[in-house]
Parts: sequence; structure tokens; C-alpha cells
Amino acid sequence: MEQITATLPRITRPRTRRREWLTDLVLLTPGVGYLLVFMCVPLAQVALRGFGLLAIGEPSHFTLALYREILASKIYRDSILFSLYFALGTTVVSLALALVTSALLQVNFPGRSVISVLYKIPLVVPSLVAAFLVLTIIDQGGIIARAVARFGVEWPELVHDRWGVGIILVLVWHNVPIMIVILSAVMSAIPQDVSAAARNLGASPWQVFRNVTLPLSLPGISAASLLVFIGVFGAFSIPSLVGAAYPKAISVVMSTEVLDRANWALASALGTIVTVLSAVLLYAYYRLIRHQEAALR
Amino acid sequence: MTHPWWQRGAPGRWMLALVFFGLASIGLIIPLIVGVLWSLVNPNVGWFPPAIVPANLSLANWRAMLSVPEIGQAFVMSFLIAPLVTVLCSALALPTGYALGRRRLRMRRTIELLVLAPIILPGIVLATGLGSMFIRLGLSHTIPGVVLVQTVVLLPFMIRIVAATFEGVPQDLIDAGRNLGAGPWALTRHVLIPLVKPGLFAGGLFTFIGSLEEFVLTFIVGMPHVQTLPVLLWAYLGGRSSIFTYAAVVTMVLLVPTILLMFIAERTLRQEYLAAGFGKV
Repeated sequence: MEQITATLPRITRPRTRRREWLTDLVLLTPGVGYLLVFMCVPLAQVALRGFGLLAIGEPSHFTLALYREILASKIYRDSILFSLYFALGTTVVSLALALVTSALLQVNFPGRSVISVLYKIPLVVPSLVAAFLVLTIIDQGGIIARAVARFGVEWPELVHDRWGVGIILVLVWHNVPIMIVILSAVMSAIPQDVSAAARNLGASPWQVFRNVTLPLSLPGISAASLLVFIGVFGAFSIPSLVGAAYPKAISVVMSTEVLDRANWALASALGTIVTVLSAVLLYAYYRLIRHQEAALR
Repeated sequence: MTHPWWQRGAPGRWMLALVFFGLASIGLIIPLIVGVLWSLVNPNVGWFPPAIVPANLSLANWRAMLSVPEIGQAFVMSFLIAPLVTVLCSALALPTGYALGRRRLRMRRTIELLVLAPIILPGIVLATGLGSMFIRLGLSHTIPGVVLVQTVVLLPFMIRIVAATFEGVPQDLIDAGRNLGAGPWALTRHVLIPLVKPGLFAGGLFTFIGSLEEFVLTFIVGMPHVQTLPVLLWAYLGGRSSIFTYAAVVTMVLLVPTILLMFIAERTLRQEYLAAGFGKV
């Protein structure tokens, strides 16, 4: 049988399986080997250190003390909850904005090609720059505050506020484009006939959106939401710049443990919690996808 | 059948365009203009509320690029590290991406998951692990250390782009070349390389820009000796009292190449490469 994925240039006879396997190994070693050494090893160290093993500068033995300390401390609990809170807030707000925008982007309006390039700009903007750009607008010394001050309105403090409004605004600005990319790809794949048929049968535009577009875009919606949630949950730079003194994001707490206290063990335990929470979400997502695929079949 | 306003012929579409351009200017164009203005504020006059536009513009902050040593040093540091990371990522990703794109592999799912992991994992978790590991290896606060950690997070994008590129080479062209009598060397030289060049170019550019932008790992592993532009930006915005004018200069230095690249990429490079890099899951 002719191999479709055969290696490219080959004039000799097909080699034995063993040699094929050896070629694979040689080709994969640089990339995969690098990740094994510089990702898997440090991650394993993080996981072990969270249980008191591989301790730096003190005797190491298996213990659950670090996790007990985290669960007992209001500071750590609050930071985990705060990260979950702004991740959820960012995901919900971004999703709402992205859904409306992607649906409207399906309509052919003048200048659509310009808009579809412009909205992708935040995708390539570094998060620190995003924070700076949004700060110049929404801060108390920002442009909006200056503009409304002329009408005697005092602009509320949105940055460094307890409810993380500033964090959510910057994160939404940074994450809406990737959602729009995914959602408009999914929506443009919906055949025009389907929505046209629904309209001919008397459905209002809202009903078409609610009962046709939305269910058919569900795979894209869940993928985009999960992607944004996990990315934002572990985000560091934006919460550290725009966040309040209390509660701090979990990532910010981790960096303080590492940089100010050199407490690698505690940071490792916190990191393990973050990783496990993200992994559980990913796993749930893959289960969900499989269910959806099974249901379609 | 009644149409909503945005579907009622030309006027509705113009209205929709108006809404979109309004949103784009509030969300994007005004922030960019304000960012540029901050970089041009005259430090002797300042830009204090309630002025909507700075009273006096000057290039003094840009001149500081040359005279304030930390800005110039960070600039040199960033543009020294970025090519090193790009070269290392390309060298590592080429064989692996080729194998993923064109060969029948055992354990393909596992390898793909491994390549996906650094993209999904929070940077701070990787930084915690690599930070302590690099202290032991004596690589903390060194340029090689920062190059190595940046490669961990940028290599996956490069591998995915290279794999997508090799996967996209039509087998027909290779078969045709072979039928016409081309040997392995001629096939590589005249068929394969021209076909994969744009993808590899895209991957290299993304890695370069990604290295310029990388913050968390550089911050944890490189502090305080290796200070790149994003690390400096962090210091200007939050670490000390915020120095908006210098922050704006650093912002523009980081932003201009990325936005330019995006316009080039949008025009000349095929969508698949972008999708392979950005379409994360």
C-alpha cells in the first residue's frame, strides 16, 4: 500500500520499520527533548516541592503542611477566589461582546475589511502595553475622567479597585479579539440557507440568533470561553499592574513568594493548585466535546 | 418579513459601519493616539488634568532613549535576545515540526499534548519551576538563561507553525518532481524549500516578536540583571511611581514592529500559519 504521509524525497526502497522508528526519534528529539528537559522537569519539581520534597536549604520530607497552610490562610484562599472571579468576569463580558460583534461582522457593511484587520490589533499587543493603553483611558487621570470632569462629573476609581473592574476591563480588551476570531470562523461556517430558511418561516432576527446561530456556534463558544478563562486565570502582568493591594491575584501572590521571600516551596504548592484547576477544566472541556460529537453522530 | 435596521439596504449598512468605526475609535484608535501623545509630552510642562491634549509637545522623551542608560540598555538587551531565541527555536522546531507535519508517528497525541502544554500552562507556574532550576544550574540572571526560558514558551508556536507548513505541501508536487527525475537533493532544493519558505518566515517573525514581548519568565528568571523592554515597562508603570512618559516611549518601541508585522502578515502570509500559532487549543 502506498503511504500517503511518506517522507518526502526518497528514491531508495522503503526502509524497515526499525529504521523508520529511529528516524522519527532523531527528528523528534530536538523539540520534544527540549520540552521534556525544560518544561517537564521543572514542572515535576514544582509538583514535588509542593509536597515538601526537593526542598531548597532545608531538610526535605513528604508533608501536606504547605497545602494545609494555604487552605488555612484567608490571604491565599482569597487570592485563588479573586483569580477565579476575574477570570469568570472577563470570560462572560468578552463572550457577550464577541458574540454580538461576530454576528454583526457576518453582515456585509462598508469598510468591513478594515474593521476585520483593526479588531485583531490587540492580539499582538503585549499585555503590559495593553495595560498602559487602557490605563491612559480609564484611569482617574485618564482621558475619560478629563472629559467628564468638564461637565462636573467625578470619574470613579476603576484602577486598583477592590472589585477588579480595571483588571477585567484590560483583560477584556486583550481577549475579545481571539474570541471574535474563533466565533466568526464558526459563524461564517453556518450555511446561509439555514438562517434564510428560519427567516422565511417567520422567525425574527433575534429568534434566528437565539435558536439557530447560537446552538450551531456552541463548539466555538465553549472552546473560546475555555481558552480565555484558563489564560486569564493564570495571568500575571495585568493583575499585578492594575490590581488592588488586596485581594491580589494568585499569580501575583506566587511572584511575591518567589521574589520577595524566596519561598519556592509555597509558590510551588500554589502553582500546583493553579495547574490542577486548569487541567481539570481542560479535561472537562474535552469530555464535553466528545459528548457533543457523540450526540451529533 | 421585516428586516432589522442593519439589514435594511444601504442606509442600514452605513449605520452598522458607523457603529463599528465608533467602537474601533473608542477602543483602539483613541488609546493609540493617547499613547503616542504621552510619549511626546514635554517633561518640563507635563500633561495634567483637566487638559485633554498636552499643552506642549517635544521629543525629549525620545531623546531619553539615548541618554537614559536603562532605556538604551533594555533596548539592546531585547534586540540581542530576540534573534538568539529565534535561531534556537528554528533549529529545534525544524526537525520536530517536519516529523509532526509529514510522518506517521506513534504517540502522536501525546507529543501534540506536550507541545500544547507550554501554551496553556500559566507562565508564572513555568517561571516558578524554571526559576529554581536555573538558580541551581547557575543560569539565573544571565542572558543564556533568559534565552532558554523564552524558548520554552515560544518553541511550541514555532513547532506548530512548521508542522502546519510541512503538512500543507501537496504530495502531488513532490510525486510530480520525483516522476520527472528529481533526486532527493533536487526535490528539497527546488520543490520543498520554495514551498515551505513563507511558513518558516512567518514562524521566525512570530518567535522574534514573541521574544520581544515575553515578560513573566524573563522577569522571574532574568531579574535584576537581564532587563528587557517589557521588564522596564513594568518598572515604569507599577514598580516605582509610574512614569507615563517613559512608559509611552517603551510602549511605542514594542508596539510599532508588532503592528507593522501584523499588517504584513495579514497581507502576504496565509491564514493557516496564523491559525496554527494563535488558534491555541
